[in-house]
Amino acid sequence: MEVEREIVLPVTREEAWEALTEPERLEEWFANDVELDATPGGHGVFEWDNGEVRHAVVEAVEELERLVLRWDDEGTVELELLEHPAGTRIHVRETAPDWGTALELHASAAWATA
Amino acid sequence: MGDRVGAVFAALADPSRRYVVERLASLGRATPTELAGELPMTRQAVAKHLATLELAGLVHSRREGRNTVYRPDPTPLRDATAWMERVGAEWDDRLAALARHVAEHGAPGR
Repeated sequence: MEVEREIVLPVTREEAWEALTEPERLEEWFANDVELDATPGGHGVFEWDNGEVRHAVVEAVEELERLVLRWDDEGTVELELLEHPAGTRIHVRETAPDWGTALELHASAAWATA
Repeated sequence: MGDRVGAVFAALADPSRRYVVERLASLGRATPTELAGELPMTRQAVAKHLATLELAGLVHSRREGRNTVYRPDPTPLRDATAWMERVGAEWDDRLAALARHVAEHGAPGR
């Protein structure tokens, strides 16, 4: 099971990549306090003002194209940068491990709500 | 909660188990023997699927005399749906903040 979102940013791919990978930029939108080494196997620590702290490891990184973080609870977040006429399209996919597909959820949700 | 929801989806990843749980949901309650009579499966196969489903919290069993009676429980699925809603809402907020941030960052002189 996964959650997907998309947004188009009116900026170049380089600018979008910086906003997604540089700690001081991530602190402007992702979490209140961020440490991130955006290299393969690099560590990340994300802290929010409500006391939540999440640790991550960089599972994959393709400069200007893709960043995959694996949370310590085993879920992953994939950030993908894609061409778009208005700038750069960002595709987000957050997944939890061993979960069936969304299709299976819908199939089983039919009886959950019946 | 991630592990618990993971067990739910692992349990439902098998089409036969979905079949068992859906049939049980429509019956409301049933023994493995009754379910096997309704499904193209042996009683042993049904019992095995029910055990997996019970570990995931999707069904509950109760001893009634010589029989074990199973009932469906959709509560764990609501947890999974809640996870999707929570994570989706988080990303909606974050991406709105990201859009504001890049607009401000890139605004004057860049």
